[in-house]
Amino acid sequence: MVANLSVLGPVGEHAPQRMSLLLVHDDAVGWRSSQFNAVAPALPWSSFRYPPAEGILPLSARSAAPAVSLALRRTSRPCTSQCAAFADWQHLRWQSESGVMADGDWTVERGRTYRSVRALGYHERVRGRWGWPELGGWVFGFANDHEMNPADLLGPPAWAVVFTLIQPSRSNDEATSSVMLWRQGRLTWHFPRRTVSVAVEGTLDRDLVFCVPPLAATFGTRPAPAIPRRLVFAASMGADAVALDVTCRTAARIVNPSETSLQPFSVHEVLGDCTIEGICSGQSFSFATQAIVEFAGGANDA
Amino acid sequence: MPDNAAELLVSTVYELSRRAPAVVATAAAELASIVLGMSFGDGSTATLRAEHSRLIATLGAPASPDVEFCFDDQAMNFVFDLQRRPVDGIAADALDLRGDRAAILAVWRTFAYLAQRGSGLRSIQQLWRQYRERSPDLWGATMAEPPPAQGAHFEPVGWSALDFLARRGSPMDARRVGGTVTELPRVLWTGRVSTSWWENPPVGDADLVEVMDACRANVAAEVGRLIPDCAPQRDLYSLMRDYPARGGKGLRPTLAIAACGALGGRPEDAVRSAAALELFHNGFLVHDDIADESTHRRGLPTLHVRHGVGMSVNAGDALNLLAVDAVLSNLQDLGLARTIGLIQEVLHMCRETVEGQAIELGWIRRAVVPKRDAAYFRMSTKKTGWYTCISPCRIGAVCAGETSPQALTAFNETFRLIGIAFQIQDDVLNLIGDEASYGKESLGDLLEAKRTVMLIHLFRTAPDSERSRLLENIARPRSEKTFSDAQEVLAAMQHHGSINYAIALADKLARRGVSRFERDLTFLAESEYKGVLRQIAHYVTTRPL
Repeated sequence: MVANLSVLGPVGEHAPQRMSLLLVHDDAVGWRSSQFNAVAPALPWSSFRYPPAEGILPLSARSAAPAVSLALRRTSRPCTSQCAAFADWQHLRWQSESGVMADGDWTVERGRTYRSVRALGYHERVRGRWGWPELGGWVFGFANDHEMNPADLLGPPAWAVVFTLIQPSRSNDEATSSVMLWRQGRLTWHFPRRTVSVAVEGTLDRDLVFCVPPLAATFGTRPAPAIPRRLVFAASMGADAVALDVTCRTAARIVNPSETSLQPFSVHEVLGDCTIEGICSGQSFSFATQAIVEFAGGANDA
Repeated sequence: MPDNAAELLVSTVYELSRRAPAVVATAAAELASIVLGMSFGDGSTATLRAEHSRLIATLGAPASPDVEFCFDDQAMNFVFDLQRRPVDGIAADALDLRGDRAAILAVWRTFAYLAQRGSGLRSIQQLWRQYRERSPDLWGATMAEPPPAQGAHFEPVGWSALDFLARRGSPMDARRVGGTVTELPRVLWTGRVSTSWWENPPVGDADLVEVMDACRANVAAEVGRLIPDCAPQRDLYSLMRDYPARGGKGLRPTLAIAACGALGGRPEDAVRSAAALELFHNGFLVHDDIADESTHRRGLPTLHVRHGVGMSVNAGDALNLLAVDAVLSNLQDLGLARTIGLIQEVLHMCRETVEGQAIELGWIRRAVVPKRDAAYFRMSTKKTGWYTCISPCRIGAVCAGETSPQALTAFNETFRLIGIAFQIQDDVLNLIGDEASYGKESLGDLLEAKRTVMLIHLFRTAPDSERSRLLENIARPRSEKTFSDAQEVLAAMQHHGSINYAIALADKLARRGVSRFERDLTFLAESEYKGVLRQIAHYVTTRPL
């Protein structure tokens, strides 16, 4: 499941614009999505807002499917917030938290509801002021170690990783990257900008990319560039190093209208098989899991 | 499986001619009239020469080569290694060249095209890998170790992303269409320099055979789903399945799917429309066979021979009706705008086809043979060119969301020329081709008095007395014609050089088509799908006759 809830514009005389999208993938039926008007609480749960509390997140399409009703709680601690500044006065600030536990019911489509399912995920809060064309694009993703069945999991995952590459359209100086590694719920290693390298190989078959929300598909939105089939982040700092290798399986392309350019800004939510290995503080480790990766960009009219 | 280096080279040229005609045509243009003799470290020899846009590789040394190349094992090792640039990779003393300097350079360029572009195709890599594994001693000691197998726990790797990819190799995944060319890893971030993930490096080639197989299979499955599995099965639906089940080259589905992909669309989005095209095509064939009184289609008796004219006409009507239904059923997946675009394209295609059929039937009914090739070009474009070449491309483009008239029109001239060249070659193959390979009744076109370029040329060049005898021959109804009547016309065509004229004309038209392709379709970004369209454009010039 991917839930995007956004509040656009300052709080003032006019109410800010709210957009919400619920995206669910089931191996049996593929991707299902709401439009940009999913029914969401006015003040949704966030561990950043209520750190110790458990919370309920009901979220559904206006047509009732897909829908989720989840009890959420944190098992880990967030990283300190990070900031990317670009295009003179624009910036993007985000804070990541791995190991978010979700228990509840998942309705993929009418007649297909999974009850009392536990899942392990990720929560992020983003703030900033930017235009899509200037932002350019990003590659971002996370993975939690799934060695233990989430149903049996009480505490945080043994390992978790969050990786980011921000690629503003203007210059290399504005691009930045990082890899963060959590061990038993605590952020223990942060590999910053110059310690990271990123490479890709091949392209994901276009037949495996689904255009959402449904309205975007209906209107025949222009195609986006092909996304890579394989992604590798590698980082090393002193004797510590980590490498993660994601092989993409399927992707949903969320088509976001851009307020400042003709082309939409596309966020590809990609599911993939991920292997992670590294050496940290002299201890080597490796695990295989599933990852969600975002390849975003495409609002530039040029 | 090749037994020696010369056989490996001959197999490679044969496979490239099938799978990457654009590569072969470019290499043949470089080789031009040069005859190349090659000898290899294992004692085997081969000859390479060009004929029009075809490369002909044969075993054995030529009597008087213009250029001689002697490869030792070391040189062979580098020729098709994707990781190295072949020209730089070959050690100075591993290759002996003799001949005129300009000719040597032309041969060098020929190999550069074959090696650098052909080696990207997975199937060619597979061919060479098999040979290497079978004869490792021929390859010296420079073979790289295979990448370690990937397991649950991993061997240590280099800590740069590109090293990681190089060490780990790339797992193959099952693809529906595309993925026939190896794409090298690329760096997005070095720690200082960023390259946008969405700026994909162009891939200009594709393996035509693999893509055509995948497209044909996908569309055949869709056709199977579209034809109802209910009553009246014996008298209608089983008849409708007959022609589609006989297979074909898969040209139309491949053009539609590749055009969709070339414009950035999902190939799958064009599958239903491509299936609709196949239904139209088969509906037209059923009616055409009745009109032409053909007895065989794709190696088997025609539908009306098997089931009678009445039921066949009905099955042909039903195929056309079902095709319209298939186009309309895109509404749910592709949306209203694209479906309306598709309906417009299909209506135009059907109109052109029936007009073309009317022109040809009119000529036959009035026992007229047009005097100029241009009349044939017009008829051929209308009758087969639109629905075989032009419309599939335009329909694929609409499936990708492209409805701009300028973009759609850009496909017209290229694929008009390719379509005429293709039809002329098909007509030539009917006269000189092997019936088992081409599946059509041998000399069937002559028995039907089909107005081909060869017949038009014959009537233009034969003296008056011979012409009136030939006119009497072709004007007889098919039921009154014998095989010897057809052979008489064939002999006259051979005597007057009509077949060679047609082969040369097809080659000329195809070359013009290829040049229009590169001029008119620059708006398509280089991609594997554009590579497929390019390979099809060259397919006519390199197709074995």
